[in-house]
Amino acid sequence: MRNSLGALLAIGLAGLQFVAVLAVVFSSYVTSERALLNHARDLLSDVGTNTIEHSRGFLGPARGAAELSARLAEDRVIASDVPELLEQLLFQQLLLAPQFAGVYHGGEDGEFVYVMRSEGPAPFRTKIIRVEDGVRTTELIWRDDDFNVVERRMDPLDTYDPRSRPWYIRARAELTTIWTDPYIFFSSQQPGITLASPVMDGPDAVRGIVGVDIEISEISEFLARLRIGSTGRALIIHENGDVIAHPNRSLLKTQDADGTLRFVDIAQFEDPIAREAFSDLVANGVIPVEHEMLSQFSFRNETYVSVVMPPISDNLPWTIAAYALESDFTEVIKQNRRNNFWIAALVAAITGLCGLALANYIYKPVRAFAVRSALISQGELDPSEPLPKTYQELENANRTLMQQIAARRETEIEYGRTFGLSSHGMAQIEAATGRFLRVNDKICEITGYSEDELTRMALADLVHPDEPLFLLSDGHGEDAPRAFNHEMRCLRRDGATVWTLVNAILIFNQEGKPIHYVLTMDDITPAKQTEDQIAELSKDLSNLSRDNTMGQVAAGLAHELNQPLTAIAQNADSALYSVDQIAGDHDGLRQTLEEIAEQSMRAGEIIKALRSFIRRDEGIRTDFDLGELVEQTKRLVIAEARAAGATIEADLADLPPVHANRIQIAQVLVNLLRNAVEAVADCESCDRRVLVRAERQGDQVLVAVEDTGPGVDPGISLFTEFETTKPTGMGLGLSICQSIVHANGGRLWHEPAEPQGARFCFTVAVGPA
Amino acid sequence: MPDSKPLVFVVDDDQDVRTSLSRALDQRGMQVETFPAAEAFLAAYDGERPACVVLDYGMPGMNGLELLEVLNQRQLPLGVVFITGHGGVPESVQAMKGGAVDFLEKPFRQPVLIERIQAALDLADSRYGSFVTHRDLKARFDRLTAREEEIVSHVVANPAEVSSKEIGNALGISPRTVDHHRARILEKLQVKSLVELIDLVTRLRFADGSRRL
Repeated sequence: MRNSLGALLAIGLAGLQFVAVLAVVFSSYVTSERALLNHARDLLSDVGTNTIEHSRGFLGPARGAAELSARLAEDRVIASDVPELLEQLLFQQLLLAPQFAGVYHGGEDGEFVYVMRSEGPAPFRTKIIRVEDGVRTTELIWRDDDFNVVERRMDPLDTYDPRSRPWYIRARAELTTIWTDPYIFFSSQQPGITLASPVMDGPDAVRGIVGVDIEISEISEFLARLRIGSTGRALIIHENGDVIAHPNRSLLKTQDADGTLRFVDIAQFEDPIAREAFSDLVANGVIPVEHEMLSQFSFRNETYVSVVMPPISDNLPWTIAAYALESDFTEVIKQNRRNNFWIAALVAAITGLCGLALANYIYKPVRAFAVRSALISQGELDPSEPLPKTYQELENANRTLMQQIAARRETEIEYGRTFGLSSHGMAQIEAATGRFLRVNDKICEITGYSEDELTRMALADLVHPDEPLFLLSDGHGEDAPRAFNHEMRCLRRDGATVWTLVNAILIFNQEGKPIHYVLTMDDITPAKQTEDQIAELSKDLSNLSRDNTMGQVAAGLAHELNQPLTAIAQNADSALYSVDQIAGDHDGLRQTLEEIAEQSMRAGEIIKALRSFIRRDEGIRTDFDLGELVEQTKRLVIAEARAAGATIEADLADLPPVHANRIQIAQVLVNLLRNAVEAVADCESCDRRVLVRAERQGDQVLVAVEDTGPGVDPGISLFTEFETTKPTGMGLGLSICQSIVHANGGRLWHEPAEPQGARFCFTVAVGPA
Repeated sequence: MPDSKPLVFVVDDDQDVRTSLSRALDQRGMQVETFPAAEAFLAAYDGERPACVVLDYGMPGMNGLELLEVLNQRQLPLGVVFITGHGGVPESVQAMKGGAVDFLEKPFRQPVLIERIQAALDLADSRYGSFVTHRDLKARFDRLTAREEEIVSHVVANPAEVSSKEIGNALGISPRTVDHHRARILEKLQVKSLVELIDLVTRLRFADGSRRL
């Protein structure tokens, strides 16, 4: 099946557009999902990075301050062994860094200066442990922001020795700045870390250690301020698994059985999402990671994304981790995507409809063109009608088409005229059914049906019931005859029988499929009647010929017998006469002679009776057209003439009707024609022509049959019975002819023809005018 | 009549018929001459004696009817009796029309034939007188020269213009010459006046059906 232009246009403009929109939507669906996840991860990564930077920013100054203090002490800018000066230095350091909880210096001799932030009675408190001559004293001094003493008292119960503290021991052992693990400060009960830096006295000698306490609650506050989606959180996990910073600070601390405060391990951490996300990573040694690690996990049917950052630095082996609900990032976009989908669907539908409309708009002239072409092909529209608005290509096609149609129509008209005006009956007949498709006037005339009636009939309906079953086709195209030529009888509408000569040819299309028959029908009834007449004549002639031959035999016998009978009768009578002349009684002799004479008379009577018995009536004379009879008799001998290679010509002047026995005259003509044909048949040198001439001479018509044969031998007695030159003849032909012509009141004779041949002439009386 | 014996001709193509008839007629004191064909008879008979012809109807060559026609034309002093083996009504009718005495179908008895022959001889006798007269007149006329015949024709055609002058004017010759011719004509035709001449010509024409004059 061929594609319809309309369908193609609809598919192309509407369908493809719809598919294209869907493809865009789908691809944006997929890519937006990925972009969204990347976005979420980037966001988490940023959170981690920010936290790291924040932590560094938070802790960096502490290191600077600690190391500065250590260097100052080392360089003896401040006499470290003078507690008051040291206190002043440490106080200034504390003022500079608000994240510092306290700054202190412990000496090798056990002395200790410690400046810290205080809840009251003043913002700062200083603790000084002095060791003088083995005696140690501990003094506590509370100062305001301007370093003025608010309160001062001694603490005799104090047993603190800096040299026993871990930070002192480690810094002294490592001889460099060290960070302690985070822990819960004893004094403030806040989480924090301690940074310690040795004060050197020569290359390997340590004079003391400067330490800085830094509360890291500030980092948790920072984390609490961070917004990571709706539920996302960042936290800091120490390398030992402790959670050291979390937006909810209260979760960080736990109390041991002995009352000591400590950090909560991630495995026990009260943030279940964080626990789910990271505890396994810690337990499996994945944390600390070397590179930022993003991952995804499920918790309570929700999908989360997480990020794990590498440790902040070697000194601070902290891992910053963050998690967030994936939907926090994707929900809006998903919603957006849903909206997009519906918008896309709507757009696809609208553009699809527009495409259909456009396709229709484009296709409409084509459809109009197609409809117009169909109408033209059915003859319901004149091709000269102006073409509706259409395309250049179609106009070109139209022009070509119109030329074709014009040419075809011309052919059609010529054919139709030939068909219509044909002197033959013509019809187109459907090959499969034998139905008439088209008929001309002549066939209507022959059959007596109107055109309308015929086109509702099949050829079989016309065929005379006495005709052998005649069908063009039994419906199977294979068996249909390709051509046929029949003489058959048809029934006219009025019931009369017509003899027709039917000729049909099966017409095939280019694929070799039969389309229809073209049939011609001629009324041959007159010719048939002539044939019948000739056949009738022939039959009559053969009867007549038989009768005539018998009659002629009888006549011939009569003549031949009558001669001796005459002689006998005369001789007997002569004898009787002689006896009468002689005197005496001769009755016996007289009687005998009388009987002889009488018996010969009786024989004559018998012959006469025989003749009259055989000779039927001399025929009924009628008036008839001699010319027509000559034509008919010509046709009776035409076959013999052809076989003999002879031609028969007739030269018949305008003849009046003649009065004679038609059959008998026909017999004469046939006999003379046969004789003439036979005469030329055996003649090699003749041009084998037989000519029949007839012309009026007074009240007679003279008929002459002339041949170009060798002529008649003068020694032959032509008209005598039983005399013949033919090996099979009886010698009666010409004598019978003569008898017939005489019987009809005419004469028959022979004369030689010029330059050679024989001419037999006879006369027939002209009928009464 | 120079010979008292009646003259009978038998024309028949059959030898036996001729012989038997010849014998029978001879027996009865008739002079018989036989011919096998019509043509031979025509050539032999000149009409010097009245006679009967016993004529066969069907003969090769000229048949009986055709011969009868010729005989009639020549106004010969003959009576004709047809005998035929073909005996047909049409033929007999034609024969009778042609002036035959009878039409006998073969075979026939002799007395019937003799009777017919007698009738035919009587007819021939009656024809003989006119035949002879006619022959004599014709013989007289035959002696006229062409100029004399011309004058006779003129006189017969214009009986009111019989003076020599009138005839001379009509024929472009002198009256004297006419006078001379007229005397010769009266002498040759053995008449005494022009009135007799006209009467003679009229008779001859009547008898002759007239080809000339």
